[in-house]
Amino acid sequence: MNSIIKKLFSTLLEKPWEEGQSRVDSAHSGKAFSLSNQMAAVFIIFGVSTAIFSLIFTGYLVSLPPEQDTTFVLKQNLLWINTFVLVCVTFYFNKISSDFGKNNFSNIKKNLIIVGGLSYLFLFLQLWLWYQLMNSGNFVSTNTYFSSFYFFTALHGIHLLGGLFFWGKVSSRILKLDEKDFPNEKRNVSALSIYWLFLFIVWLVFFSIMFVYNDAVIAWCIDLIS
Amino acid sequence: MSDDYNDNKIIQAQSSEVMGGSAGVNPDMDYVRPSELPEQDLYHGHTFLTKWVFCQDAKVIGVQYFLTAVFTGVVGLILSWLMRLQLGFPGLAGFMTAEHYYQFVTMHGMIMVVYFLTALFLGGFGNYLIPLMVGARDMVFPYVNMLSFWMFFVAVAVLMASFFVPGGPTGSGWTLYPPQAILEGTPGSGAGILLMLISLSLFVIGFTMGGLNYLITILQARTRGMTLMRMPLTIWGIFTATVLAMLAFPALLVSSIMMTLDKVLGTSFFMPTILKAGEVLEYGGGSPILFQHLFWFFGHPEVYIVALPAFGIVSDLISVHARKNIFGYRMMVWAIVGIGALSFFVWAHHMYVSGMNPWFGFFFASTTLIIAVPTAMKVYNWILTLWRGNIRINTVMLWCLGFIVTFVNGGITGIFLGNVTVDVPLSDTYFVVAHFHMVMGIAPLMVIMGAVYHWFPLVSGRLLSEKLGKWHFWLTFLGAYSIYFPMHYLGFIGVPRRYFEMYDSPYMTSAVGMNEFISLAAFIVGAAQFILIFNVIKTLKNGKKAGKNPWQANSLEWHTSTVPPEHGNFGDRLPVVHRWAYDYSVPGAKEDYIPQTTPPSEVAHTEVEKT
Repeated sequence: MNSIIKKLFSTLLEKPWEEGQSRVDSAHSGKAFSLSNQMAAVFIIFGVSTAIFSLIFTGYLVSLPPEQDTTFVLKQNLLWINTFVLVCVTFYFNKISSDFGKNNFSNIKKNLIIVGGLSYLFLFLQLWLWYQLMNSGNFVSTNTYFSSFYFFTALHGIHLLGGLFFWGKVSSRILKLDEKDFPNEKRNVSALSIYWLFLFIVWLVFFSIMFVYNDAVIAWCIDLIS
Repeated sequence: MSDDYNDNKIIQAQSSEVMGGSAGVNPDMDYVRPSELPEQDLYHGHTFLTKWVFCQDAKVIGVQYFLTAVFTGVVGLILSWLMRLQLGFPGLAGFMTAEHYYQFVTMHGMIMVVYFLTALFLGGFGNYLIPLMVGARDMVFPYVNMLSFWMFFVAVAVLMASFFVPGGPTGSGWTLYPPQAILEGTPGSGAGILLMLISLSLFVIGFTMGGLNYLITILQARTRGMTLMRMPLTIWGIFTATVLAMLAFPALLVSSIMMTLDKVLGTSFFMPTILKAGEVLEYGGGSPILFQHLFWFFGHPEVYIVALPAFGIVSDLISVHARKNIFGYRMMVWAIVGIGALSFFVWAHHMYVSGMNPWFGFFFASTTLIIAVPTAMKVYNWILTLWRGNIRINTVMLWCLGFIVTFVNGGITGIFLGNVTVDVPLSDTYFVVAHFHMVMGIAPLMVIMGAVYHWFPLVSGRLLSEKLGKWHFWLTFLGAYSIYFPMHYLGFIGVPRRYFEMYDSPYMTSAVGMNEFISLAAFIVGAAQFILIFNVIKTLKNGKKAGKNPWQANSLEWHTSTVPPEHGNFGDRLPVVHRWAYDYSVPGAKEDYIPQTTPPSEVAHTEVEKT
């Protein structure tokens, strides 16, 4: 990050009209970053998604009335299981990356399928969690806490579905490929891997906010201090 | 892409913007780096449908955006006429009820800000100019770019559909503040508001697709030699505005979705406990102020999403038509980036009357006033660019001069309103209406007009009539001041905005003559815009041929293989850039301009640094 900021400032300090700078500039390739266009798109989408999720989190923290029970969802075992599933997905993506380094192509195919399967399992379990919540009388309109919960998880799920669409495209291509062509797909798999990591981080932030920002934890902290 | 350079001459010479690159200089003054970017695979449409409707050429998409935005602008203009008819001559339009009036106010505001100005600057000029000015064949993701336009088109269709649903379009004011926006009693609180929210969501999704293209094309697909600091300021303006939009539009998307859920599913994100006719509604626990924060977190950067491209474009127009290099290029870039960054820290100056903590107001007043510094810097630089320039007083220059004056006027009243103590009494008056129309309506519109007269020859190959252009300018310029100068006075005497009529209030007697005058001026200014449409049609039929580069400009869009440029823009070989876009009136040069593609050896005897 430091080097990006340094480069940004040194770029803004260039004097394009001066002869010395002009010679340097004329040797420029036209690219600002050593990234593929696809990877640049992934990073920009992260920027937009971060803005979306940050605003939702801020809205949640600002609008939550103190009398609402924020511990309810955390008591659902399924929420912890779902988090574990996401941890597994991240683990398998990490394995895929290292398998690319070792040219272990059969493992890549296998793990890509596992990653997709676990992601669909996560979505299914999320729907199951919604079903459990609704069965216990907690609907989207019950209070702003549940409204936020359903809203966030729906958006997170939609992001995941978007990722699964591209996972489907990349995986179907890789499954048909000869081993010698695998390295051509490394860039796409890396993009997928970063995308999933981002979704995992968003989930963890949400999870932490729910965990930390509830009366029980706040009371426990106060007890601890006093 | 061509590359006939001897590979043996490759050296490590990069601008400092290249990540991880090192700087170096080749003794050969015409040295260009061998091509690194692969040639872009373009999809050339062959049928009418793929060539003109579902087209992937950014230029066609730009024109599509432009025409759709102009259509919405004409709708917005007609709505403003109807509003002025009511305000100047109450009761003359028999069908006009208070509900209609509020619906027209709402739709006029939203259409003009989002669907007209934003779409026109970023979708229209952005698509047309980015690939041409940075030396690319097209946007990096042409298919996604096409989807972006069609998403915008559907968003406009959904918005327009709200005129025809039971209850009509929403009448909750363009800010759509809850709780009243979705509660019965507000015009269009049923299908009207829903269609507005859906349309806004579609707009944001569509724009994100387009923005992705603008950013990556500018960052990653420039031609050789085109460093970021050699880009024309038009591109800097569009680039920074796109970054703002990518970060600010999510707030509009999130608030639109949340309000849709409040309306449809009965959630209470923005809905407090409400007592209606003695009964407590099912809503409760939400915060209407949260919506205001979200809306203005989008709303204020939105001002700069419109203004920054206008700043960039007007800088280029002034430089070309004053035959001078832009004064303080680096400062202009810094100002654009600085204004963009600061625009995220001023949003709550729109909420001084929302009951916020006075310290909060103090903070936002300070940041608001700080933004005046880079903005004033730009104004000084435009004037200093004109200073001792070889100014061509043509239609384009008139629009530019009109912009500077109008922007200064609107900016100064902004300094008034940025202060809490001044804003509170003026907040609900016509002073605010006058301020934002000057700074964000008329000023950018003048840039749009200047840009249309400037780039029309590139799009069509023909020059618009100067005579009609000058009529268009003077009627618009004088007319706009006839509308908005008196409005400042109306605000000072306390005439409230958003009132259908003044009934028996004292304002009725003191403001009636002025309101009539303003309305008449508004009708004339509106009608004057059709001079441009007439001019365009006349020129397309039998206008004067422009030839290549009629303004003797330096930037790449005027140096394409054909005019108008074909799909792919630059024929067989992409251009190579050797200089910035502002070498005008260079001492020692044969012509008074040196295009960006001219190698140093061809102008070795000139004194470029003394321009």
